[in-house]
Formats: sequence, C-alpha cells, structure tokens
Amino acid sequence: MSQGIDLQGSFVELLTQFGLPAGVAKAMWLPLPMTLILLAATVSIFVTVWLERKISAAAQQRIGPEFAGPLGTLQAAADGIKLLFKEDIVPAKADTILFTLGPALVVIPVFLSLLIIPFGQNLVITDIGVGIFLWIALSSITPIGLLMSGYSSNNKYSLLGGLRAAAQSISYEIPLALAVLAIVLMSNSLSTIDIVEQQSGYGILGWNVWRQPVGFLIFWIAALAECERLPFDLPEAEEELVAGYQTEYTGMKFGLFYVGSYVNLVLSALIFSILYLGGWESPISVDLLSGLFGVSETTPWLQVITAAIGIVMTVVKAYLLVFLAVLLRWTVPRVRIDQLLDLGWKFLLPVALVNLLLTAALKITFPVAFGG
Amino acid sequence: MDFTNLASQLNAGIILPEGIVVATLLVVLVGDLIAGRASTRWTPYATMAGLSLAIVALIYQWDTATPLSFLGSFMGDDLSIVFRGIIVLSAIATVPMSIRYIEQSGTSLAEFLVIMMTATLGGMFLSGANDLVTIFVALETLSISSYLLTGYMKRDPRSNEAALKYLLIGAASSAIFLYGMSLLYGLSGGKMKLLEISQSFVAADSDAPIGIIVALVFVIAGIAFKIAAVPFHQWTPDVYEGSPTPVVAFLSVGSKTAGFALAIRLLVAVFPVVSEQWHFVFTALAILSMVLGNVVALAQTSMKRLLAYSSIAQAGFLMIGLVVGTEAGYSSMIFYLLIYLFMNLGGFTCVILFSLRTGTDQISEYSGLYQKDPLLTLCLSICLLSLGGIPPLAGFFGKLYIFWAGWQAGAYGLVLVGLVTSVISIYYYIRVVKMMVVKEPQEMSDAISNYPEVRWDLPGLRPLQVSLILAVVATSLAGILSNPLFTLANNSVSHTPLLQAAIDQQQAPKAVVPPVATIAPAVTSVAQR
Amino acid sequence: MTLAEGVQLVLFGLLAALVIGTALGVVLLSNIVYSAFLLGGVFLSISGLYVLLNAGFVAAAQILIYVGAVNVLILFGIMLVNKSQPFTPVRRGWIRLIATGGVCLGLFALLSTMILGTSWQLSTETPVGDGATVLIGMHFFSDFLLPFELASVLLLMALVGAIILARREFVPDEPPTDAISDALKLPERPRELVPAGREGSESPE
Repeated sequence: MSQGIDLQGSFVELLTQFGLPAGVAKAMWLPLPMTLILLAATVSIFVTVWLERKISAAAQQRIGPEFAGPLGTLQAAADGIKLLFKEDIVPAKADTILFTLGPALVVIPVFLSLLIIPFGQNLVITDIGVGIFLWIALSSITPIGLLMSGYSSNNKYSLLGGLRAAAQSISYEIPLALAVLAIVLMSNSLSTIDIVEQQSGYGILGWNVWRQPVGFLIFWIAALAECERLPFDLPEAEEELVAGYQTEYTGMKFGLFYVGSYVNLVLSALIFSILYLGGWESPISVDLLSGLFGVSETTPWLQVITAAIGIVMTVVKAYLLVFLAVLLRWTVPRVRIDQLLDLGWKFLLPVALVNLLLTAALKITFPVAFGG
Repeated sequence: MDFTNLASQLNAGIILPEGIVVATLLVVLVGDLIAGRASTRWTPYATMAGLSLAIVALIYQWDTATPLSFLGSFMGDDLSIVFRGIIVLSAIATVPMSIRYIEQSGTSLAEFLVIMMTATLGGMFLSGANDLVTIFVALETLSISSYLLTGYMKRDPRSNEAALKYLLIGAASSAIFLYGMSLLYGLSGGKMKLLEISQSFVAADSDAPIGIIVALVFVIAGIAFKIAAVPFHQWTPDVYEGSPTPVVAFLSVGSKTAGFALAIRLLVAVFPVVSEQWHFVFTALAILSMVLGNVVALAQTSMKRLLAYSSIAQAGFLMIGLVVGTEAGYSSMIFYLLIYLFMNLGGFTCVILFSLRTGTDQISEYSGLYQKDPLLTLCLSICLLSLGGIPPLAGFFGKLYIFWAGWQAGAYGLVLVGLVTSVISIYYYIRVVKMMVVKEPQEMSDAISNYPEVRWDLPGLRPLQVSLILAVVATSLAGILSNPLFTLANNSVSHTPLLQAAIDQQQAPKAVVPPVATIAPAVTSVAQR
Repeated sequence: MTLAEGVQLVLFGLLAALVIGTALGVVLLSNIVYSAFLLGGVFLSISGLYVLLNAGFVAAAQILIYVGAVNVLILFGIMLVNKSQPFTPVRRGWIRLIATGGVCLGLFALLSTMILGTSWQLSTETPVGDGATVLIGMHFFSDFLLPFELASVLLLMALVGAIILARREFVPDEPPTDAISDALKLPERPRELVPAGREGSESPE
C-alpha cells in the first residue's frame, strides 16, 4: 500500500523554505486541520439540512425550499442566521449555569469525534491507536449533557425528555459497542485507518458488510437510536413531550442541539461507511486500475487523484446513508419507549453478543477471510 | 505465548473445587430459569451436592505437590485448603436453614442460592489469592454478594436498611483497602505478587519506613471490617439484626473465615518488615473486640444482636492466635474456627427455627421454651454453652487451645483479658439458657404460649432438622473427640511453607539474614517442586 | 524545554487544578445535582491526566465507564427520586464540619509526608503508548487470567442481584394449603404483594 501524500510534511517543508524555523512551522500547522474539520462539519450540516428538507418534500410530494439560493440550498444558512438573532431566553427558575452548559456538552463530544474520521491514507487529523474506541467513549458523554439540559430547564417535559434520551443512549451504546468490537476483532486494531486498510484490496468484495451482515444491521439500528432519529426520536416526541429536553431552548442554544444532532448523523454515517463500507476505498480498487494502465503508484498526479477519490468516496457513502436515514424517517412509525428498550436489551444485545462470539469463532476457523 | 503453552503452565487443576462451585451455580441458575417455580424442590439439594463435591475435591488436593497456579495468582497450599473447606462447609450448613425461611418470606430460592454460592466462591478465592488484583476481585465478589444477600428481603424495611448500611460502610472500607494496595504497588515498584512485594521491601532495606506503615494501616482497616473487629464493627449489630437470619449465619462464619484467611496471607506474606507494628495493631484490635463485644452483649434484648456481639467477641479470641504467631497459635486459630463453624451455625439454626415458629427473635420471648419444645431448647443450650466455653463442649477445648498457645508464647496480658471476658460471656449465654429452661409455665411469654405444634414434615423442615442435629452432635463431641480436627489444624500449618518461614522468623527475632530472603526461596522451591 | 514539554506542563497544571476544584465542589456543594455533575468533571479531568501519561486506552475506558456509565447512573438515581426535602439544620452542625475538616487535613498531611518521605522506585521502561491495548489484552490472558475470569462471575451475579432487587414480586398461584403455615409467620413476610404480569397494576411503590 502506498503511503499517499504527506500533507503535514509538505506544508512544513514549504514554510521552512520561506525561512521559518521548523518549530514555528509545525506550530502553524497545528490549527489548520482543526479549522478545516470545523468548516467541513459546518458545510456538512448545510448539505444535510438541505437534503433532509428536499427528500422529505419529495417523500410527501411537495417541492420543499426553493427561494433561498439556487434550489433552496441556502435555506439552512437562513435558518442559522434566524437562530443567531433570536432572543436568548432562560426560563424563570431555571438553573442558568447548567442550562447554558448542557447544549455545549452535547455538541463538543460530537465535534471531537470527527478527529478520528479518515478520508484517505494520510487524510486524518490524528491516527490514534484507540481510534474507534475514542468515538464510543466520547459519545457516552452526550447523555450527561442531555440530562443536564433536561434537569435545568425546570420543566417536566424537559426532564422526561432528558431521562428518556439518556436511557436510550446508554441502552443502545452496548449493542453498538459490541458490533464495533466484532469489526475490531477482525482488523486486530482499534485504529480507523487499520480498519479501512483491512477491507482494501478486493474492491467492493472486501468490505466488511459481507463479513458482518448482522453486525451491519445492529450497528445501523443502534446508530439511528444514538442520533435520536426516527423511528427512535422518543426524547423529542412532539405528541407526548412537546420537544423533550429542547422544549425551553431558543436562539443559538437551541441551534447547538440542532447542529449537534445533524453533525452526529453525519458522523455516524461516516463511521458506518468506515466500518462496513470500506471507508475511502472505491468499489473498484484504484490500485487495480493503475496496475491495469501501468502507472506507478508513486506518481504524484495519481496520488492526488487517489486522495480526491478517497474523499469523494467517503463522503458519497456517508451521504447515501444519510439519504437512507431520511427515507426511514418517513417510512417507519415511531416506537413506544418500552418497545424501544425491549428492542435494545432483549433483542439487539443478545444478537450482538452472538454475533461477536460467531465472529471470534470464524476468525479462528477461517483466519484468511476473517483477519487471522 | 500461545494457547496450548499457556494452558500447560496454568496448573488450573488447583481451582477444581472452585470450578465445581461455578458449575453448580450455573446449573442452579439455568435450571431455575428453565423449570420455573417447580425447581425449588431440587435446587437446594443440587447446591448441597455441588458444594459437597467441592469439599471432596479439596480433600484430594491436600498436600498437593504444586500448589501455585495461574502463573502465581492463586496459592492452593494446605492453609488455603482448610480455609476454603470451612467456607464451603458454612455454605453447606446455611442451605438447609434457608429453604423454609426463604419460602415463607415469599422470595425466590434459586437466586438466593446462586448469590450465596458466589459469595462462597469469592471467599474461597480470597483464601488462596496470591496477588493484589486477585485479592481485590475476590474480596469484592464476596462483599457484593453479601450486600445483595443482606438486602434480599427487599419488602422488609429493616433488611433494606441493613443492606444500605452494609453497602456504604463496606464500600468505604473497600476504598481504603484499595488505597492501601495501591500504595503497596507503588512502594514495591510495580509488583503484584505478595512475595515479590515483600522481597522488594527487604531489598529496599529501610527500617519500617512510613510508607509501608501507612499502607499497613489502610490494609488492616479493610481486613478488620471483614472480620468485624472493634472499632470497625459498627455495621455488625445492625446488619445482623436486619438481614435474613440464614445470611447472618453465613456472614458470621463464612465471610469472617475469608477475612481471617486474607489477614494471615496478606500480613504474613507482605509485611514481615513491619511485623512488630502489625502485631501491635492486632493486639489492640483483639483486646478491644473481646472487651467491647462481650460487655455490650450483656445489654442486648434481641437474640440476633446478642449473637452479633458474641461474634465480634469470638473474632477477638481468634485474633489471639494470629497475634501470637507461633505454630500452636496459627493451628489453635484454625482449630477454633472449625469448632466455631459448628457451634455458631448450630446456634443460628435454632434461632431460625424459633423465629419460623413464632415470628420473633426477642430474648424475652424464649422464656419457658422448654415446656413446649425440649429438643430445640436442648440444641440451643448446647450451642450457646459451647460458644461460652463450658466444658466438656467443643468451645471449651477451642478456647483452651488458643489460651494455651497464647500463654506458651508469653502473651499473658491477652490471655488474661480473654479469660476474664469469656467469664463475662458465660453470663449472657447462660441468661438465655436460664430463660428457656427455668421459667414456670405461668411465666411463659406470649409467643411460647401460642407455640404451634412441633411438626417436622413441612416442606423444608426436614433438612433443617438433620443439619441441626448434625451441628449439635458435632458441637458436643468435637471437643472430646477433637483429635482429627486437631491434627488437621496442625498439619495445615506445618505443611504451609509461608507460615513455617514466618514462624522461624518469629523464633529467631533479630536474625542477621533478612527474613524474606529465607521465605521466598523456600516458597518458590516448593512451588516449583 | 521544547514545545511539547511546555504544552504538557501547562496541561498538567490545568488538569490538576480541574481535578482538585471539581472534587472539592463534589464534596462541598449542598446541591446534590451539582455534586453529581461535578463528579463527571472529576472523571473527565482524570482521564485527561491519563492522556498526558500516554495511556490513551485507559483514558478512553475511564470516560466510557465512569462518565458514560457510573455518572449517568448516579444522575438517573438522583433525578428519579428528586424529592426536594428541606432539612432542618443540625444543631451544632459546625462541630461536625470542623471535625471532618480536621480529619481530612490530618490525613492529607500524613499522606503528603509519606509521599515526600518515601524514595519511590520509578519504572525506567518507556511507555508503550498505543501498544498498550495489545499489552493489556496479553495480561488479561496470562498472569491476570484468574481475576479476569472471576470478574465475569462477579458481574453475572451483580446482574442477577440487580434484577432481583428491581423486579416485581410474584404472588404464588394458589395460597398455601397446610393450616399450620399461617402460624409460621416471619417478621420479614411481605405485607402486600403486587400482582405481576397484569395490565394496569401500576401501584405506587
């Protein structure tokens, strides 16, 4: 496997050529990926919101937003600006500190999790060894923020919504983690890069979705529940709880929940595509094609193309999943809270355990196919 | 290291008894899950059978050539076998007394048995645990199951209160114990095995450094909580009064035995450097326990509280053997534990039987019991008198041996305190006996005048009767025919290299050779034999 | 001092201050909800310390277990029984406070003397960093195999115990037939049993 392009190395080299000391150049590199990922996340929100509105409209045979920008693409920006300029209301007798802190605690872990998403061999902010485990750990912080905002709103609907959200997210964390564990078992590593590399080489045939059909479904259901998407959007079930823990929020604090939920959806889709759909790998391996045309892997223009294909592939796969999630939203009715918990604890958990055991057994029996 | 290579090094046969307990546990749990309510008919007997099988396995492991297993995590020497045996015996004896009791309180039996077997398992592993992590996990297995057992009667507010108290105090003491262990880990430079820790202490060669003393104090706080030594006894009376009586019976024998096993292994193996200090602390604990346990017991009106304080006092007597630290000291302690097992469990069986029939455990309600139920009166009297140490019952010989060992080793003060307090204890034991036997028919308590007809054919009472008779027979005869028990206790001490080395060190106090330097090779050579 | 060392030092100072500050908040604040949330802060800061020590796996595990499970459970407990009960202030409560403070300060003094007065044996091995995950797994299946397996029994039993404590009681299908059973009442006998498995039996408990 080629090492691909080394962005950091080239950047530092470029600056040192301008006469800057290497230390300063490195320090200047540090904020760049972070800003980049923030920007990417913001853009992804715009795209996702637009997609959600357009697909929903199509599902209901409407047109959807069409005036703000071409095809209504700037509708999300208009929404955002509206939220920014709204009055920030803190309800009477609410706990101001917790009320403010809650939304932040919900959003920060989601953004932090973007650290581990690879878009290519070297196109990742940090390739840390605990990779995917970090995502699971970080996403377990979110319930605290939900409980905090539910409690501090001084509203029984909010409290109920917060409790439901936390219960839901800890219940589905376990099957989710078990499904991920089966993948980790096959790739012998927690690092997202290694997980993708393990699926590479055979194009679409090498993806984990063929080796983990059960884990794939479990992960998708659990991820939907973690994102509080329909059919699992009980924490904000508007017929029962007004809007759950978000009831009392206005302005940008509400905006943070909004941002958080959409980034979380995109994040889950990205992770899903990494775990099961081969990440940046294209359905037909680029290596194979380049070998076919007799181009060396280290050719600079090929590397650029590979990187571009990688990014496009990851994003396309992720948005395919987002599309699926939006379709599901208009297809499946909402479940009841007891059905939700029953499904999580009595069905998904045992199935995920069996899946894990089965994977381990298969790994011992067929080490070639299941990453010995 | 590949799997087959690892499996050959584990020497996993040493934990066969524990394996049998786990298997029984799973059989009972799954069997109950499948069979439902009907399973109450066979689960207690399956439990007893499994535990008895574990005893058989323990007997076969006596004097095994390679006691060290799981790469040094577990030590199956004779000392641990005796302690594991006592714990399993106490669990076996608890099962028959709980059948009827659990059924009448309307809770499910199988889960009770499962949790009790887990507690037994924790105690067994604690008796042989040889590294810090195993010690802590085993201790928590024992503790958490004890909390659950204590709160098993969840509809009864007293049981809830007892469980909560036990949990809070227990968690605090576990935390302190863990802090002590983390200090040991740090002070020894990252060692886990007990002997490696003490070797590194000796290698550091400083005279009782403050770090080790602090670690010692913290560790002792954790141990003293488990054996309910004064001043770490506060939980005992409340927990004993509130929790279901079979649980109390198990806690007072099984859990306490595990605590003593932990005390011996941890203190003797890790702390020879500060040997004087821990002997001093335990002397203080022993004196306080004997005095306070026996004196406060005088004022009790509830039978369970009386037995709670009596068990605190008995722990005080047992600690004499530990403090003395001679061969006779250790073996007298084990001997007394064996006898205490029979007499205390016999006593609790009687108390359970009485409360099953009358629904009370106030001491005043026992008055005139002789008129209605002579058998129960006889059994309870024998057990209480034996606990008090009246000849020719077993308790007398147990105490005699402990005091003799103490006197031989020159612990005159301790022995004198022990003698005086056991005279005090005879008073409150005899008071109950007098209450039952002497009263005229018109002085009978309400509970006794409404005493139901004595029937043994109700479900669950037959095993209770059998175990009661066995315990009483053992209590009466174990003193006179004590030779097998005596030999067992002596052998378990003399066949344990760890204790032998400590005893040698005790006899040659200011040896030029650092003590552990002599222990460690001895133990490792035995281990590798 | 290189850039990395400087960052490490500053981060250590920040995290240590956070740990101490939040921990004090847990103990001193009278609002139990604040205490619970601050406890989450303590756990998070400790996991930050683990990251500084180059123990990424332990840090992530710390967050997952302590913040994601333990702290959420505590918060659940508090919020489900959030009955604001005005406590009458204990008379001479300040004596207790002072005594507790004294004991804590004494303990702190003792421990700090001990820590400063001991020559610690420092490990000279380089931290394995990302390799730690594999190493932890190796230890679980070699020298810590016994406690690892025992922990599974412990967890199974804790699971069973938790279910026992939380579930509803079942009423026996038929009342006991033998006449003597009524006389054999225990003090622990439950007073009323809620019939289970019947719809609409949501009695307040």
